Amino acid sequence: MSALAVAAAALQVVGVLAGAPLVVGGMRQVRARLEGRAGGGIGQPWRDLRKQLRKQQITPRGTTVVFALAPAVVAGSTLLIAAIVPLIALGSPLESVADLFGVVGLLFLGTVALTLAGIDTGTAFGGMGSSREITIAALVEPTILLAVFALSVPGESANLAAIVSATENHPEQLVSPGSLLAFVALGIVIIAETGRLPVDNPSTHLELTMIHEAMILEYAGPKLALVEWASGMRLTVLLGLVANLFMPWGIAGADPSLLAVLIGLASITAKVVVLAGLLAAGEVFIAKLRLFRVPELLAGSFLLALLAVTASYFLGTPTS
Amino acid sequence: MLGAIGLALGLSVIFGEPRQLWIGWLLPLVGVRLDLDPLGGIFVAATGAVAIAVGIYAVGYAKREHWARFPLITLPLFVAGMLLVPAAGSVTTFLLAWELMAATSLILVLSEHRRAAVRTAGVFYAIMTQLGFVAILVALVVLSASGGGDAFTTIAANADSLTPGIRNAIFLLTVLGFGSKAGLLPLHAWLPKAHPEAPSPVSALMSAAMVNMGIYGIIRIDLQLLGPGPHWWGLTLMIFGAVSAVFGVLQASVSTDLKQLLAYSTTENMGLITLALGAAMLLASSGAPTVAAIALTAALLHLLSHAAFKTLGFLAAGSVLAATGLRDLDKLGGLARRMPVTTVMFGIAALGASGLPLGAGFVSEWLLLQSLIHAPHDSITLVALAMPLSVGAVALTTGLGIAAMVKAFGVGFLARPRSAAAEAAREAPMSMLAGMTLAAAACVVFAVAPALLSPALQRVLAVLPTVGGDSAGPQIDTILRLPGVAGSISPALLAAALAIAVLLALVLARWGGRHRPPAMVTPLWACGADSLSPRMQYTATSFAEPLQRVFDDILRPDTNVEVTHFAESQYLVEKVTYQTLMADPVEQRFYTPVVRAVTVWAHLVRRAHTGSVHLYLAYGAAGLLIVLLVAR
Amino acid sequence: MTQATYTGVLDLAAGAFLLAAVLVVWRRELRALVRMLAWQGAALATIPLTVGIYQADAALIVVGVVVLLLRAVVLPLLLARAVGTEDHERRESTPLVNTTTSLLITAGLTVLAYAVTRPIIALDPSPATRAVPAAFAVILIAVFVMVSRRRALSQAVGFMMLDNGIAATAFLITSGVPLIVELGASLDVLFAVLVLGLLTGQMRRTFGGTDLDQLRELRD
Repeated sequence: MSALAVAAAALQVVGVLAGAPLVVGGMRQVRARLEGRAGGGIGQPWRDLRKQLRKQQITPRGTTVVFALAPAVVAGSTLLIAAIVPLIALGSPLESVADLFGVVGLLFLGTVALTLAGIDTGTAFGGMGSSREITIAALVEPTILLAVFALSVPGESANLAAIVSATENHPEQLVSPGSLLAFVALGIVIIAETGRLPVDNPSTHLELTMIHEAMILEYAGPKLALVEWASGMRLTVLLGLVANLFMPWGIAGADPSLLAVLIGLASITAKVVVLAGLLAAGEVFIAKLRLFRVPELLAGSFLLALLAVTASYFLGTPTS
Repeated sequence: MLGAIGLALGLSVIFGEPRQLWIGWLLPLVGVRLDLDPLGGIFVAATGAVAIAVGIYAVGYAKREHWARFPLITLPLFVAGMLLVPAAGSVTTFLLAWELMAATSLILVLSEHRRAAVRTAGVFYAIMTQLGFVAILVALVVLSASGGGDAFTTIAANADSLTPGIRNAIFLLTVLGFGSKAGLLPLHAWLPKAHPEAPSPVSALMSAAMVNMGIYGIIRIDLQLLGPGPHWWGLTLMIFGAVSAVFGVLQASVSTDLKQLLAYSTTENMGLITLALGAAMLLASSGAPTVAAIALTAALLHLLSHAAFKTLGFLAAGSVLAATGLRDLDKLGGLARRMPVTTVMFGIAALGASGLPLGAGFVSEWLLLQSLIHAPHDSITLVALAMPLSVGAVALTTGLGIAAMVKAFGVGFLARPRSAAAEAAREAPMSMLAGMTLAAAACVVFAVAPALLSPALQRVLAVLPTVGGDSAGPQIDTILRLPGVAGSISPALLAAALAIAVLLALVLARWGGRHRPPAMVTPLWACGADSLSPRMQYTATSFAEPLQRVFDDILRPDTNVEVTHFAESQYLVEKVTYQTLMADPVEQRFYTPVVRAVTVWAHLVRRAHTGSVHLYLAYGAAGLLIVLLVAR
Repeated sequence: MTQATYTGVLDLAAGAFLLAAVLVVWRRELRALVRMLAWQGAALATIPLTVGIYQADAALIVVGVVVLLLRAVVLPLLLARAVGTEDHERRESTPLVNTTTSLLITAGLTVLAYAVTRPIIALDPSPATRAVPAAFAVILIAVFVMVSRRRALSQAVGFMMLDNGIAATAFLITSGVPLIVELGASLDVLFAVLVLGLLTGQMRRTFGGTDLDQLRELRD
């Protein structure tokens, strides 16, 4: 483990921290332009964050430490994921600490913290949001783990570096049905987990249709800033992860040179920008699903993930 | 009374001791043979540890709840029975200890026999446990008869000479018998009835220690004595396990009774363990001993961590019950401010039960998933088909388990109290807290430093030569590495890194704090209305409603909505009553016909009972004659 | 065409073929079902085309082109005309089995297909036979669609999928069937679709809808 590998991991964390509001802003801007509005500009989320961070701390009456700590847990778990997953370089110093299953677990830890905070407020909206969020999370879990399974078949490991380098060494596997199905399945569950359309509408103002927004209704000021920042970071990290799992080109090796790290940074930025732009453009054309149609979507993605595993078991050409 | 408590403590401490005795050790009493090998040892140790925590807890609990003397004397006997089962070295001893455990546990379940629900649960439990015992009895008697001896060691030596037919019969009978003790579907029905109705320390002992004995039986008889067996053995266990896990967790996630939720979660976890055992069997019989060893380690580790977090969960639920008199989550809430220590304890237990990182169940579930995804898939179709489906089942179980535990912890302990009883809750006394602290410490060890258990697990794997072979198990160190396959995780470093990351996030939130006005407490947002009453909160029922709708086809809830309109207009609603009844569908579909059939039979048999003593004597004589003729 | 590309294209075609079947189970709009059917036809045609190009077999290429024209263009067009113009006719009414359950059953059927075709693959393991389970799964899914759907048109879609699945299995196992056999089979399907279209029209005139449950009235 060289100093540069450590530096690359730190760069990932800093990059995600700084880039997440920009990704969110960029997506809003793409949407606004496609809908014929001017939009607030890419930097708007950053300006919002700065404003909220300077506001007064507010504790809603009757809430406990769970409510106070939840934003930090969400943000912390996301930052840790950003340090573990290979975004810029392969050999993160935390690489052996958690594999893809561990990353999924961390993701759910953040979700659980926020749902508990929603219940803790003791309002109808908080409970409603939490109940919906946890229902979706419970149904997402099978798909996400099966997709991990499908991804781990070619590299024979659920370790992130092993998966990424297996794809890098055998690019022809990318166009195999197993890999494509896993990509679609993983895409659907990431949309569900990050609360994007058609599962949840991040810009809704109607409480009855809210999921994520209903849970965080009582947050204000710096805590709200942290929650929003964290949800932006989750989206960014997951987009980056998907990008590198399926299109690992440009990523620096386990023992990178300075140039490789820079190339890695540039390529991951480009990939995330492209994916986020596509996602935002796609969202223009779809409406939110009814809550009770969401299980259909998730059952569908579960089926795709199952097909992905069976396909990579049976169809997959043995890596030689 | 205090003397009996002392005895409980003494016994648990004494019997907690043998965990140092890993060497096989013989103690021939009069016809009773105790033979404690590492496999039995790990079960004895788990039981002893649970008993210590429960014993300390029971001191305060008994005082607070004014227990009668009788259950207090039975409690140590129950513990003794559970300690003897894994220590038994022969079929007779095993059966004796088993029956001691079953009978004493029944007495304990009935200790609050004045309530009707307790009596129903007791009858149910008595019937199920005795039926299970009959299955085990027949299986073991056949085993010892054809294995040429009473002692397990003799049987093991002669195990190869058994015919496949006898092996299969023994396998099926033991799976049924031990499965009913472990609460596997469809023989689980007693568990969610008996465990909630028993006093909480007893529930903890039953759910954390007694169900383990079912698993012990399966490991001892089916894995160790009879070997890995054909493919379908492992597959049967996997199906039993997967169905139990998914069904148990589904019931847990819609249950609104705190203790019933925990009881269903026991079914779920036993299902996961059985799934892991089945996977180990299947993998061993398809020539992948290394991966089988991982699955077996997962099973054992999950068993131990389940014992830890389930003890803690039931003890904390018991504290809540003692403080408020409530088990109904719809009426609880707001306990975090009133019972902070108990809340933290239940939080640790819930984190463990949900299988999230930093929880006690995470490492074992991770091992299970790893063993499933690394199964060899190119040679045997069965393995290739079973593994993805099992991963799906395990994942669904984990996902729903998270939902169930969030509900139990969030609705039960956070937010505002939903009833006067919950509002008046007071923290539990010292000895109850001390008991819980012990269990919580065990949970933390499982969550952060499973490496401490590594030597014990290695020794257990070593005595199970049929599964796992001589290949080394997973290297549980600070960084957990798997042999033969690439895969690693480090719970301790993960916890440390997460702590650092959370601190970093907190620092981030301070950014710009210099310009900030001082913090203040404000009322909740009520959409512009006056204030929110606690009745407006989401309850456990409403929290689980989306899940209940999604799984409507399986759960089959009985929902009743009644809308009363004003006489003047049908557009104005006077009141709406909503009632939903969640019965166990398996119980309704499977047990009711059986019970009906038994009743019909009983009526037929009753005709032979005329009340005439002479006729009864004639029956006896005829029976004797038939026996003599047949056994000629 | 190299071995690797051949395998890749074949696998992809089989994957798309199966995916179209899954989407037919998933979607409810009748127009979308017909569109999926067209995609499936295209995926089906890719199989003989690929095999034909790889083995340089002109007859197979001809078969492929015929299949492409017939199943990806002609038949879907015919079916699309049969879709009612009235609003309530455009969607499948509540299926007998709800969508979530249908999708899970589809998952089960696919796994089953993989299990039962294992011996066939073992006979002659080649890239083509390894895709047989996908084709077989489509047959099973098609039967399920026919069992669980109410509208006459969904039944027709199910029937076409069944035929597509059988054709795909034939192409994959035998590396192509004789031209005349394929033409005969395709003509059969064409006639079947024409008859189904006529019947659907007749039904709509008689009952005012195409819900098959109304056929029960004929019995009384």
